[in-house]
Amino acid sequence: MHRSGLVAIGKLPLYLVVTALAVLMLLPFYWMVVTAVSPATDIIAFPPKWIPTHLTLEHFQVAFEKASWLTYYWNSTVVAVVSVGCSLLFGLFAGYAFAVYRFPLQGFFFFLILGTLMVPVQVTSVALYILLAQIGWVDTFLGILAPNFASAFGVFMIRQGIKSIPVDLIEAARMDGAGETRIVLTIIAPLVKTTLATVAMLLFLSSWNDFLWPVIVINSADLRTLPVGIALFKDPYGNINYGPLMAATVISTGPMLVAYAISQKYMIRGIALTGLKG
Amino acid sequence: MSDQRIAPSFRAWLRRQRSRHILHAYLFIAPVIVLFGLFRMAPAIQTLLYSFYKVELLKGRFTFIGLDNFRRLLTDEIFQRAATNTLVFVAAIVPISAALGLILAVIFNSKFHFQEFFKAVYFSPMVTSTVAAAMVWWWMYNPQFGILNVLLKLVGIPEQPWLMSSRMALPAVIIFSIWKTLGYNMIIYLAGLQAIPAQFYEAATIDGAGAVARFFRITIPLLAPTTTFILIYNGILAFQVFDQVFVLTGGGPANSTNVVVLDLYRQAFERYNFGYAAAEAMVLFICILGITILQYVYSKRFEVSY
Repeated sequence: MHRSGLVAIGKLPLYLVVTALAVLMLLPFYWMVVTAVSPATDIIAFPPKWIPTHLTLEHFQVAFEKASWLTYYWNSTVVAVVSVGCSLLFGLFAGYAFAVYRFPLQGFFFFLILGTLMVPVQVTSVALYILLAQIGWVDTFLGILAPNFASAFGVFMIRQGIKSIPVDLIEAARMDGAGETRIVLTIIAPLVKTTLATVAMLLFLSSWNDFLWPVIVINSADLRTLPVGIALFKDPYGNINYGPLMAATVISTGPMLVAYAISQKYMIRGIALTGLKG
Repeated sequence: MSDQRIAPSFRAWLRRQRSRHILHAYLFIAPVIVLFGLFRMAPAIQTLLYSFYKVELLKGRFTFIGLDNFRRLLTDEIFQRAATNTLVFVAAIVPISAALGLILAVIFNSKFHFQEFFKAVYFSPMVTSTVAAAMVWWWMYNPQFGILNVLLKLVGIPEQPWLMSSRMALPAVIIFSIWKTLGYNMIIYLAGLQAIPAQFYEAATIDGAGAVARFFRITIPLLAPTTTFILIYNGILAFQVFDQVFVLTGGGPANSTNVVVLDLYRQAFERYNFGYAAAEAMVLFICILGITILQYVYSKRFEVSY
C-alpha cells in the first residue's frame, strides 16, 4: 500500500509533463473548432473566449458558398482510391515476383524501383510536367495520378510480407494446377492482408494530404483536391476572415480526424512497424 | 529403380517451370517498371538534361546553354537565400524533433494511465494534412488576434510579430514543423526501445548503474540504428519542405522563409523558367543523394557492429 502510494506520487511530474504537452498538441485543433463555431465578436475578443458565447454555423455557410467542398472531397477520394488500388494491385504482383521468382536482372529492377524513392516529385516535377503537357494530361485526373499509380514503398513492403510465407504452400497450389495469377490473387493476397491493409492506409493518407503535385498539375477549380482547395481558399490579398477559414479547415480535416480517432491504434501500430523496416 | 525413370522428366518439368516463371516474373513486374520508367525515372533523367537548356515550352523551343543555369544559381541571391534557409530548416528540425521524440519515447516506455490516449494525441498532427494544419497555425500566429500572442499578453510577455518579422518567421515555421513531426519520431523511437531486451537494463541495474548511466550507456547506443533511420528519413523530408512555407508565409517576408522547393515551384510554374528550375531540382537531388549515401555507409557500419 505504502509503496504503491509512493509510486503514484513519483509519477505526478510525469502526468503533469504529459498533460501539459498534450494540451499544447491539441491547442491548434481546439482553436480551429472554437473559431469555426464562434460568432465574429468572440474571435477577436480579449481575453480569448475559450468557450463560444453561442454556437453559430454562419462561418460554415460562408465556407460552403465560397468553395465547392463536396467536389474537392469527390476529387480527393477518386485520386486516393485509384492510386491506392493500382499501387496495391501492381505491388502485389511485383512483390510476388521479387519474393518468389529468380530471374535475370532481378537485382537491377529491384534497385530501379527502390531508386525512385530518391527522385521524389520535388525533383522530377519540371520534366514530368513538360511530359504531361505534351501528352495532354495537365489539368486532368490522370495528371494528378501519373506519378502515383505505383508505389516503391508498397512493392517493398508486400515483398517482405510474401517472403515470410512458406514456399511449400505455393508449391502445393502449383501441384494442384493453380495458375500463377490465381495463386497471387486467391492464395497470396489473403495471407498478406495485414501488410496490404497497412500499405493501403499509409498510401491513402499520403495521397489524401498530398499538395505539391496536385497544385502544380491542376488549374481548374473543379479538379481541386482538398489540400489545394483549402490552400487557395485563403486569399492572400483579400480581407482575411478567420471564421470561414477555420470552418473550411474543419470541413476538410474533420472526417479524417474522426477516422483517426476510431482507428488510431491500428494506424499507429502500422506506422511503427513499417517505419522501422522502410 | 523407378527414381531413375522419373528423374529426367522431373528435371525437364522443373526447367519448363523455371522458364515459365521467368516469363511470369517479367509480366508481373511490367506494370510497375513501365509506370516508374515513364513517370519517375524518365522525368528524373529528363530534368537533368533540361538543367542544361533554356526551355520555352509555349514556343516548343529548347536551347542548349551548357552550365549557364548552374552559373546563374551561384549568383542568384534569392536562390542562395532559399538554399540557406533550407539548410537552417534541416539543421534545426531534424535534431530537435529527433531529440524530443526520443525523450517522449522514453517517457512512454514506462507504464502509466491513459497512455494510449496520450500517444494518439501526440501523433494526431501527423495524420492531418500539412496544408490544413498550417492554415490553423497561420491564424494562431496572427500578431493581433492570434491565440499565441493573446496567451503571451495574458502572462505579461510582449507580443511577438511571428510570421510578419523576417527574424521570427523561419523559427515560427520550424516550431510548426516540430509540432507536426514530433509524434512520428516518438512512435518510431518507442518501437526501437521496446525491441531492447529488458535483461540489459536488469544487468546494468545489478551492476549499480543509475537511470542516467543506463540511458547513455544502453539506450542511446542500442538505439543507434533507429536514430540513423529517423535522422535520414526526416532529413530527406526536410530538404523537400514546401507545404507549410507555402501556406504560412509564401516565402516571405523578404525571402526570409523562402526554401528550395518553393523557389523551384515559382521559377517553373509561375515564371516558366523550366531549365533554371531543373537546375534547382538537381541541387535538391544532390542533397537527397548525399543523405542516402550517408545512410548506406552508416547502415554498413551497424551491420558490422552487431
